[in-house]
Amino acid sequence: MAGAATMVSSAGGLLAMLNETHPALKLHALSNLNAFVDYFWPEISTSVPIIESLYEDEEFDHRPLAALLVSKVFYYLGELNDSLSYALGAGHLFDVSEDSDYVHTLLAKAIDEYASLNTKAAEAHNESATVDPRLEATVERMLDKCIVDGKYQQAIGMAIECRRLDKLEEAITRSDNAHATINYCIDISHSFVNRREYRREVLQLLVKVYQQLPSPDYLSICQRLMFLDEPEGVASILEKLLRSEIKEDALLAFQIAFDLVENEHQAFLLNVRNRLPSPKSLPSESVHSGSPEPGSVQSENTTTTEDVQMTNGSQVDGNTSSPDPREAIYAERITKIRGILSGENSIQLTLQFLYSHNKSDLLILKTIKQSVEMRNSVCHSATIYTNAIMHAGTTVDTFLRENLDWLSRATNWAKFSATAGLGVIHRGHLKQGRSLMAPYLPQGGAGGGGSPYSEGGALYALGLIHANHGEGIKQFLRDSLRSTNVEVIQHGACLGLGLAALGTADNDVFDDIKNVLYTDSAVAGEAAGISMGLLMVGTASEKAGEMLAYAHETQHEKIIRGLALGIALTVYGREEEADTLIEQMTRDQDPILRYGGMYALALAYQGTGNNKAIRQLLHFAVSDVSDDVRRTAVLALGFVLYADQEQTPRIVSLLSESYNPHVRYGAALAVGISCAGTGLSEAISLLEPLTSDVVDFVRQGALIAMAMVMIQISEASDSRVGAFRRQLEKIILDKHEDTMSKMGAILASGILDAGGRNVTIKLLSKTKHDKITAVVGLAVFSQFWYWYPLIYFISLSFSPTAFIGLNYDLKVPSFEFLSHAKPSLFEYPKPTTVPTTTSAVKLPTAVLSTSARAKARASKKEQDKTNAPKSSGAEPSAGKGKSIDKDEDSMQVDSPADKKAEPEPSYEILTNPARVVPAQEKFIKFLEESRYVPVKSAASGFVLLKDLRPNEPEVLTLTDAPSSAASNPGGSVTGQQSSASAMAVDEEPAPPQPFEFTP
Amino acid sequence: MDPKITEVSQAFERFKAAFVRNDFDKCSELLSQLKVLLTKFKSLPPLFEETPNAIHELTLARDIYEHAVVLSVKIEDLDAFERDFFQLKPYYTDACGRLPQSPQEYLILGLNLLRLLVQNRIAEFHTELELLSAIALENPCIKHAVELEQSFMEGAYNRVLSARKTLPHETYDYFMDLLAKTVRDEIAGCNEKAYDSLSVNDAQQILLFSSDQELVEYIKEHPEWEIKNGFVYFKQARESEPCKEIPSLQLINQTLSYARELERIV
Repeated sequence: MAGAATMVSSAGGLLAMLNETHPALKLHALSNLNAFVDYFWPEISTSVPIIESLYEDEEFDHRPLAALLVSKVFYYLGELNDSLSYALGAGHLFDVSEDSDYVHTLLAKAIDEYASLNTKAAEAHNESATVDPRLEATVERMLDKCIVDGKYQQAIGMAIECRRLDKLEEAITRSDNAHATINYCIDISHSFVNRREYRREVLQLLVKVYQQLPSPDYLSICQRLMFLDEPEGVASILEKLLRSEIKEDALLAFQIAFDLVENEHQAFLLNVRNRLPSPKSLPSESVHSGSPEPGSVQSENTTTTEDVQMTNGSQVDGNTSSPDPREAIYAERITKIRGILSGENSIQLTLQFLYSHNKSDLLILKTIKQSVEMRNSVCHSATIYTNAIMHAGTTVDTFLRENLDWLSRATNWAKFSATAGLGVIHRGHLKQGRSLMAPYLPQGGAGGGGSPYSEGGALYALGLIHANHGEGIKQFLRDSLRSTNVEVIQHGACLGLGLAALGTADNDVFDDIKNVLYTDSAVAGEAAGISMGLLMVGTASEKAGEMLAYAHETQHEKIIRGLALGIALTVYGREEEADTLIEQMTRDQDPILRYGGMYALALAYQGTGNNKAIRQLLHFAVSDVSDDVRRTAVLALGFVLYADQEQTPRIVSLLSESYNPHVRYGAALAVGISCAGTGLSEAISLLEPLTSDVVDFVRQGALIAMAMVMIQISEASDSRVGAFRRQLEKIILDKHEDTMSKMGAILASGILDAGGRNVTIKLLSKTKHDKITAVVGLAVFSQFWYWYPLIYFISLSFSPTAFIGLNYDLKVPSFEFLSHAKPSLFEYPKPTTVPTTTSAVKLPTAVLSTSARAKARASKKEQDKTNAPKSSGAEPSAGKGKSIDKDEDSMQVDSPADKKAEPEPSYEILTNPARVVPAQEKFIKFLEESRYVPVKSAASGFVLLKDLRPNEPEVLTLTDAPSSAASNPGGSVTGQQSSASAMAVDEEPAPPQPFEFTP
Repeated sequence: MDPKITEVSQAFERFKAAFVRNDFDKCSELLSQLKVLLTKFKSLPPLFEETPNAIHELTLARDIYEHAVVLSVKIEDLDAFERDFFQLKPYYTDACGRLPQSPQEYLILGLNLLRLLVQNRIAEFHTELELLSAIALENPCIKHAVELEQSFMEGAYNRVLSARKTLPHETYDYFMDLLAKTVRDEIAGCNEKAYDSLSVNDAQQILLFSSDQELVEYIKEHPEWEIKNGFVYFKQARESEPCKEIPSLQLINQTLSYARELERIV
């Protein structure tokens, strides 16, 4: 009766039996031990040598059994390496399908081992590296089992990790939902495959699989091809779609083109465009012979002319011979797609959108302007920067025009930046950019006129306007650069050229800039260094070596710094390929070069979250002797981690409490960069204490970073946004605040409301591809520590948060859709208002002591201003108006409270084009009975719409501008008049009158 | 009757016959066969399956292993003793609820204790002791072993040797011989520590040898001992170890790394 409970209490007997001479006894002991190993492994472990010797005994028949037993014991002892090697010895006795901890652990171990071996072999390019065939067999058994069981995701993960592309392909093709599987595959290849080369291989395979599918997803394929840098593939797909009979295919092609443009890969887009085959019939030939040179087809101006010629061409064609209608359609489509690929369409539409939806709050600027002391040039220029950032891309320069007098106090470099600010405001205004800036540009040969500072600034501004789309302006900038030897102008021209020719790796331009560098002038050399980097972004060219050599040669710190950043830019996104260069830089004696090394690490591994890079950066962040290097190392973490934003606050949280203010500053900016536009709660919590740090520049960094994080986050979704706005105002108004943090606050209020409150900072495109311009822009922006004019680079990272639906003609039809969320969650911030007298009681006395001069000027401004909201009814006293702004918070709190009386609707109807902030995207729904259906379901960006009722007349909204611009083909030649008429919207303000500076 | 059991029983009978004849070679051969046959029984440890003949099989197997242990003593094979004892042990510890107690049990346990004592495995000795019940400790076989151990630990070596005269069982004889040797080794170890040298006579007396001849033989086993001028010199590694060098390089490295780590505390 007790028998049922009988259980051996010790394995001693069995172990003793192992020493018996008779093999049958040994076998008996082994098989029993194997059955009881889970309970008796501690006892067995002392006898492992005996069992091992059995395994090694060639004459023993049951060696695998002995191996399995030893393996299990080692597993329990935590010696996984030994365990694995014995498990492999056990051969088929090791059953991969067994559901036990032992098998699971060992399989994981085996796969890890196999993956690391294979990875090592692949990285060493050493085919002969031997992988234990038994290990391979085990892993293969596991893979096959997963595939057979339908666990495709596991199989894919393992196959990718083990570099078994054959198995990967098998898994994908055998899965029941190939599209979903491929998408999963893409995701993991981006997030978990660290080696760039290998990722390429995986993607190449995916493209191959994709193309074999019966219904290929061209959108995805093209994205992959773009990553692989294979313009031929994209071009052939586009051609196929364009030649299709079905209109939808053409729409899809347009959509692909827009998506590609979003990734801002200028060189790639140019290649695709050049490879698109032209229509076969005569007219197309004439078009091509008509355009000046095949190479310059890409220039904006020529594209417009091409447009015109196209119509001419087809007319001619109609006269002479009967055209093949299909070729004609194709020709028409190819023109459109070329236009899209040039980026022209998207830039133009963005510009229209930003202009028409501009909601920037001039009152904020006004408050800043009035509270800033005139003599404080830092804050004065900061206000100018802020204005530029606030109106980036909107073409609204009301503030500047209204305050010419005040503006004219900017002298020297401040004048340089004031002029360059126009470039930010008119960013993307490709057609009229040059004429807008004309008054400030150096007059070739005339030899007289403007100050070199405004001329240099104007060249820089041109670069900003044409950033990454500079085919049209490049030549002009080059000429300007060559025809001057004033270093300020050279400075502006270098920056402009770098921006315009971003990433084109144009050797002629490079040589021009290099000549400037070799003049060894500190001011021009710095810009030249950066510019060379911009030009060579991501090429990893050997020019970097040349730059490094010169950096060692020159005495000027500024030049070394410029070059260091430039070198860092050249290795953008090259990951391991950059390691040698990074090593070289980080080991340099010169802290400035080490500092460049940090940037190189940041940019080479941008967005990869690569552990090695993070480790290196953390190492430098705590061990370098130079504060600059430490600061940059921490800051660089932001770039490495931006694809995985949640990580950053966690990683830098300790650093943000460092005793070293430079490290704290770096931590703040790292969070700002990687969490930009997310409103991530952890990020805000981390930054909050830093905004009231004891050190002024830490406050500055924290305020800027906070603004970057909170950009476009409404107060309704996070109440801290409102608090932050009030904090900014308080700092700006506080007379005793340090200049540094005041400047930070001013810039922060600009960034918070950047681009007329319609842009956000985005480093990743919707397809998770890094936006090269944006990342580069932020990297150079973070240099403002040394050189304020570089602040403008932040405008490169702005991307409009808009849903813009387009029809087949690339026009914006009127179209409604739904945002299934409370409107207040995503609405624009309330415009600041002039407070009523009731709240005037709380005036802090300190503010009333503003200088009489400021009061007088402010009141004068107020009288001048007719349409400003401020003059509507409230106290005319400027002194009061200004100080009472402080109490806006109460106002802002009040007004929503009033609203709450009536229940807020739970949805909102938006009209194309609409502002859709990133957080809102998931709430966007398309109405079912709508006339238009999007080609791909995307909630923001440019979306091609399918017209379900093509016979009804279409109502177009907002912008006929593209066509009106096209009707004005010589757009770039005439002066201000044409620029004023160019914007189709009537209220388009004229550019500011040229103002004279009194030096 | 199960044919398997019959087969085992018959083989066991033959084994016992050979055992009585003191034909130990035959015994070993038969024993090996028996053991292999026993593996066929599922009711035996470690499986303890409930079969109709379980009790019979268990008893039979226990009997076989008990004989095996005694046999190993007779052929003076300590390894075999240990092996067989361990295989026997589950029958005592785990099957005690199902089987009547074996008359041989205490004898075998006592033998095992003695073996541990002989092999100077005191820790295991005490482990085994702890597992025994109070009644078992009263058994003369066990008691004998316990007393021996106590004398041994006290250093009352003469009592250990005199215990020979009160053997509970004839099989203990073999172990007592071995024990004498163990005791002598202990004494020799103490001597090395206690004396630089001893006169041959004293050494003979202390080491409990009856003649010089035996002493000389014994000294030969210890290469570091030496007989000179009627004295035995114990020249083991007496000379003090050389003063260790200060690991200066290592210390410097360590200190530097501490300094660096401190610097990193942020």
